[in-house]
Amino acid sequence: MLRAPAHRVSPQAIGFWTVSALMGDAVLVGGAAVAWLVVPGAPGWVGLVVLLLAVVAVAHVVLMPRIRYRVHRWEVTDTAVHTREGWIGRETRIAPISRVQTVDSRQGALMRMFGLASITVTTASAAGPITVDCLDAETAAHVVARLTAITAATEGDAT
Amino acid sequence: MIPAPGDGWVRLSPRKLLLDPVKAVGQAVVPVVVALIGISQSDMRFWPAVLPLVVLGPIVLGALPWLTTHYRVTDTQIQVRSGILNKTTSTAPLDRVRSVDLEASLLHRVLGLQKVQVGTGVDDDRITLDALAAADAHALRTSLLGRRVAVPAAAPLDGAPQPADPLAAGPAPAYADVPVPPPAPAVPLAAIDWSWLRFAPFSLGRLVLLVGGLGLLSQVADELPIWNEDTATSAWEWLTQFAVVAIVLTLAVGGLTLWLVVSVAGYVLQWWGFRLAREHGSLHLTSGLLTTRSITVEEAKVRGVEVTEPVLLRLVGGAELSTLATGVEDGVTQVLPPCPRTVAVGVGEAVLDHRGPLTAPLVEHGPKARRRAWFRQLRNALDVIVLLAVGWWWFELTWWWLVALGGALLVAAVVVGEASYRHLGHALAGEHLVAGSGTLARVRTVLETDGIIGWVVAQSWWQRRIGLADLTATTAAGTERVVVRDVRLEVAVALADAATPGLLGDFVVTEPAREQV
Repeated sequence: MLRAPAHRVSPQAIGFWTVSALMGDAVLVGGAAVAWLVVPGAPGWVGLVVLLLAVVAVAHVVLMPRIRYRVHRWEVTDTAVHTREGWIGRETRIAPISRVQTVDSRQGALMRMFGLASITVTTASAAGPITVDCLDAETAAHVVARLTAITAATEGDAT
Repeated sequence: MIPAPGDGWVRLSPRKLLLDPVKAVGQAVVPVVVALIGISQSDMRFWPAVLPLVVLGPIVLGALPWLTTHYRVTDTQIQVRSGILNKTTSTAPLDRVRSVDLEASLLHRVLGLQKVQVGTGVDDDRITLDALAAADAHALRTSLLGRRVAVPAAAPLDGAPQPADPLAAGPAPAYADVPVPPPAPAVPLAAIDWSWLRFAPFSLGRLVLLVGGLGLLSQVADELPIWNEDTATSAWEWLTQFAVVAIVLTLAVGGLTLWLVVSVAGYVLQWWGFRLAREHGSLHLTSGLLTTRSITVEEAKVRGVEVTEPVLLRLVGGAELSTLATGVEDGVTQVLPPCPRTVAVGVGEAVLDHRGPLTAPLVEHGPKARRRAWFRQLRNALDVIVLLAVGWWWFELTWWWLVALGGALLVAAVVVGEASYRHLGHALAGEHLVAGSGTLARVRTVLETDGIIGWVVAQSWWQRRIGLADLTATTAAGTERVVVRDVRLEVAVALADAATPGLLGDFVVTEPAREQV
């Protein structure tokens, strides 16, 4: 069996995921509610559907970030990058550092407010990019520097 | 005239001056004719001024590329310069040249020209020389590919492993100073056998073309004056009076005959003179009746093969073979026409230099995987049935038909589900990862473990409940992934660990297995 990667992501990620899920779900539920109110003669059961949607959205906003925080893990050893992610499903990705081609870090406006950054490590395969979501910005900078140093020292075209 | 930059820069073949204007005229003929008709309807006085313009325009435009394009091969690079205002220079280091493909359309062949495409291992970046004289093109190809001759090209088929390290296939020191090394003997792997023509009608790739053509025809038929509703109705009544069966039979026979002709003609056009050989450490494929193709794939870049048996082809014992390579335009190159399975497997083994992977039995994925395969197809069938039911309800049709149709769909779903489970499987044969897949077609993908550059283990919620996972080996070759579907999680991890020893080493923990593996 595979063991879980060693490190959790930043605890700030829970806040970030909550806020971004809230924004997305609010638009969806709000849109549905407005449509229900505006369209004349909509039958009563449509209101129930909107209510159900709202309940599901609340559950999503409350539960998803906490489950995610328990699932998401990452680890960079001297030979490999290993991540686990997902909240309903699970996805484990492993790539040897000797095959890493690029190391990107990304920080959106909302992520910056929570002091977070994401790292994406790509290999020569379109199926193989590995993303470590929501590290705290300082850790992310360290990891990028370390990965860049290791990959710069690797020879060959990594295919 | 635009002068050549000197220093060994040469132009493309002067016969391109004939090629491009003909092409340009071909492309310009519709707008020109439209313009001429427009002018002739308004006034005849402009004719003397317009005619030279429409005739000379394409010729001048066609000649410009020849005047402005130059190429040269230096000791280390191949360089191509083109453009007047925006000059672009493409260069490729000679030791990075991975493939040299030649192509000639009918027009090219009449003029004795070849289009040359040089691939450098970066997917989208190819240098194109359109067109060189055929002899120059072949000489260029030989010299470009000859420069990096290394390992003996003619490795015997005895299961001896090729050097796994791609760097080992670099230029051998002995040849380093020789511009054009002595040509290594080409080893033929396969050539066209016209008894394979029997597989042509069972390969449905060209059916799309035929259906498209028929669609076009039906559009034309709509425009015909005889085809209005009255004639249609009366014709239909007349038909039903007589022999519906005979008409249907005629249509079916006609369709089949058309399909036979189209498929066989397509096969002949595409695979005429087909020849696959191994030379200069590359696989070299030539074929084509009207448009000839010559494709070269460097063997060190070939990371695996894929044998596909589409359902119809499999009924008659046929198969197709593709190579999975890195640095080729789309990664998957079909290297054999539809041919007997034994031939596809034999050539595949020759390309791999290993006997096992294409014939080794696959490890089955067990009853839970079978259940998922069945459910996947049943769910698809149910989706269709629900849609049909809505349609039935809308149009108030007889429900008996829906019940019959739904029953047939469910039976088909079970059959397809069972078939897709039987195609499922995996194996680790020596240095090769083997994955079986496909729903209707049986596909066997073989990938060198050295070409694996990462792993993804994905589990949906349903898969987690029953302990299955989809294992994806990521690679730079072919479609860039090889998926082993619905395999037990612990088997997936063990397989990944065995295929790439050391990569998972730190992360694998021994746990008392809950079930016997």
